[in-house]
Amino acid sequence: MTDQITHREMPTGTEGSEAGPPVVPREGFFAMWRRLQLGLWLAPLGILALVGVLYMYYQNLDLANAVRQTRSALQWETKLWPQMLQHVQIAFVATVVVVIVAVPLGIILTRPAFRRVGPYVVAVANSGQALPAYGLLVLFGAAMGMNRTAAMWAFVVYALLPVLRNTMVGLDQVDRSVIEAGRGMGMTRMLVLTRIELPLAVPVILAGVRVAMVLNIGMATLAFLIGGGALGVTIYSGIELNQNSVLIVGAVLVAIVALTFDWLGAVAERYLRPRGI
Amino acid sequence: MDGFSSWFAYVGDHWSDVLTGTLEHARIVAIVVVTATVFSVILGILVERHPAARAASLSIAGIFLTIPSLAMFALFIPLVGIGNPPAEIALFLYAILPILRNTVTGLDSVSPAVVESAKGMGMGNTQQLLQIRLPLAWPIIMAGIRISTLITVGIAAIAVLVGGDGLGGFIQGGLTRLGLPNSYESVWVGTIFTVALGLVLDILLSLAQRLTTSRGLRI
Amino acid sequence: MSSEAKIRLDRVEKKYHGTSVPAVEELSLDVHEGEILVLVGPSGCGKSTTLRLINRMIEPTGGKIYLDDEDVTTVDPDKLRRRIGYVIQQIGLFPHQTIAQNIATVPRMLKWDKARIAARADELLHLAGLDPEIYRDRYPKELSGGQAQRVGVARALGADPEIMLMDEPFGAIDPITRERLQNEFLRLQAELKKTIVFVTHDIDEAIKMGDRIAILGERSVIRQLDTPERILAFPVDQFVDDFIGAGSTIKGLNFEQLSGLRLGGYPTIRSDQSPQAGLEALNESNKTWLLVVDEQNRPMRWMREGDLQQSTGSYQDEGSEVRIRLNAEDTLFDSLEQMLQSESGSCCVVDRHGALTGVVEMAHLRRAIRRAQVEARRHYEDLEDNA
Repeated sequence: MTDQITHREMPTGTEGSEAGPPVVPREGFFAMWRRLQLGLWLAPLGILALVGVLYMYYQNLDLANAVRQTRSALQWETKLWPQMLQHVQIAFVATVVVVIVAVPLGIILTRPAFRRVGPYVVAVANSGQALPAYGLLVLFGAAMGMNRTAAMWAFVVYALLPVLRNTMVGLDQVDRSVIEAGRGMGMTRMLVLTRIELPLAVPVILAGVRVAMVLNIGMATLAFLIGGGALGVTIYSGIELNQNSVLIVGAVLVAIVALTFDWLGAVAERYLRPRGI
Repeated sequence: MDGFSSWFAYVGDHWSDVLTGTLEHARIVAIVVVTATVFSVILGILVERHPAARAASLSIAGIFLTIPSLAMFALFIPLVGIGNPPAEIALFLYAILPILRNTVTGLDSVSPAVVESAKGMGMGNTQQLLQIRLPLAWPIIMAGIRISTLITVGIAAIAVLVGGDGLGGFIQGGLTRLGLPNSYESVWVGTIFTVALGLVLDILLSLAQRLTTSRGLRI
Repeated sequence: MSSEAKIRLDRVEKKYHGTSVPAVEELSLDVHEGEILVLVGPSGCGKSTTLRLINRMIEPTGGKIYLDDEDVTTVDPDKLRRRIGYVIQQIGLFPHQTIAQNIATVPRMLKWDKARIAARADELLHLAGLDPEIYRDRYPKELSGGQAQRVGVARALGADPEIMLMDEPFGAIDPITRERLQNEFLRLQAELKKTIVFVTHDIDEAIKMGDRIAILGERSVIRQLDTPERILAFPVDQFVDDFIGAGSTIKGLNFEQLSGLRLGGYPTIRSDQSPQAGLEALNESNKTWLLVVDEQNRPMRWMREGDLQQSTGSYQDEGSEVRIRLNAEDTLFDSLEQMLQSESGSCCVVDRHGALTGVVEMAHLRRAIRRAQVEARRHYEDLEDNA
């Protein structure tokens, strides 16, 4: 399990920093690409292109002559735009709650008193990947009522484990000798945590937050199943009505939202991390 | 305790359905993970030493994982219709990144001295790959396969929304009859058996990982 | 160029893309059959690159490489490498294979039959001083650094290649183990008589291991190529002199045995002779010390004039005891070490029965050093005259 690398630690490729050390000895085009993080600034162009394609597709749909359900499902003001706002709202609130719960919990679980349970929590978080979001959602809906709040809490539970795991791994991988040095200079445990461990673990925690955001955007697509609304409504009506145009508009719109937030996460990861790391 | 006993009663009454659902689910996962493994390992070998191709393939595989599952499932309906195929294609795309990334990292992690000595003794590129680099990267690749398997098991539960098979059927069945007898039990069965299938497959794969890893590589 | 060259580099050159200065510049070099040729030079001089050109781990961009007068510049590099043993500093044992499998790598590629491979692996483990019963089925991680290096050498010897290339093979090993491995390897080489090219940055290792040493400057240009004795006695230029560093004269003493010295007479009396006879013998010579030997001519005690005058004739506990006796095979360096410790400033040489054959004094060493320097200078003057 030592070298396990999960998609959740660094979920996306909209930035180029994922490749390993360069193999070419001199700086070629590619090395320059990575040094300047051009990938990070190219992603919005790709997303914008996708928006353009979707817009053109939408304009050419000839909705005036389409069946009534299609016309109604694809209305921007009453359907798509409100759904998109719901989507972002659900994902955002769920992510905030996840971070508020998971990061402090991760800090507590890596303190010496709880160090023993750490590996078990990480193991549970690993196999928790097989947890079906669908089932979790329905169980919450059944218990809390068919509404957006229930959906949100289901997503909080679903995204909790990966963020918790990232926080713990991030704190654990802080070099022991750095902590020893801090203690040796007479810093209290609290000071070591706030001055050394947390700043050094920030990149990993940020990556966890980004993962939670992306997961929650994805899960919000399912919120409609228990009356939570969001863009899943459009996708599913496309499937049920057997109307490919509805399904495609819904799906591409969701993809655009997801890619956008993932990119924002990548930007945050780059600019919020402490200098020198 | 009433919940537990009714749950067991439900499983007892619907045993053959549960088994069928689990096997269908497992079948989808098996098809996806096997094809994704073959594809990703080969791709990983091809791109490992070419920085641009490698970053591009990792990036694209990463984008797949970013796109919400229902959207991904739905996007393939216009191409292959409803049923298992759109789900399998989407799951395949999800399963690529963990295996691809671990293949690349695994091959990277092979000590240059080992490769140098293999080359120095006259091993050709194919021999180096098959006898040295892949066996050494194997434990890391297997870790990637295990992650892909877990993800696939979890996400495959929504295949039912695009007309596919699997344990998601129990969840959907429960949802549509919510409030009626046995609906709650049905959702629980779908959820628990999905997680259980994930755990069983993970244990099997960890055994396979142990058996296929040289004793010299174990810590 | 002699025709006995096992390996011949003929104006071999390596230029990297996009650089105007070659990494290795038109290098011509003969390696004789059965010798250890050491390439030594400061880091970055290209000695490793040169070594790797020979088995074409790096493809030369110019020149020819011959093995046994066969041009191997264009043969299949993999087949070429199977004929050449290759040992690197980091060893690079295959961690997923047992020791026996590691050693069998080249024989397996050459499709030897199973029984022969197994027998060969055991034989090589024996040769490397590792018990096959214990180590055959172990994995590299279970070995110490020194053991791993022995296995690395055994693996390179797998298919009994005539040529070995060794790139700082003992560089990553602690000094005590390194010394032991060097000695073991020299013993092995005395038996196997491989043709070896050996790279190191350590001049002392070069002097110890090399039959000949090539001192390389930048771009792998050969600054001096000769036996260690001659290089120590006569560094051709400032670069070589600086590289050898201080103490080259003392290092040079390692190469001459006491048997090569002409030791003159030394005042001696037998233990049954009188102190008076001793005084006479001492006065006849111009020495300050006299040796008392027993009936078998074995040296017993050092006596000064004053000791003899006070002597009772038994010579027990008189003067000082002869503590150190060297053999004809010992080096001048050994004798220097002993002279510095002994009160008389000289040192007895005995045969294998312990009988005195001569006494080494500082003057002998001085003369030997002078002789080596003169010989080396004359050698280089002859070379220049012929050229």
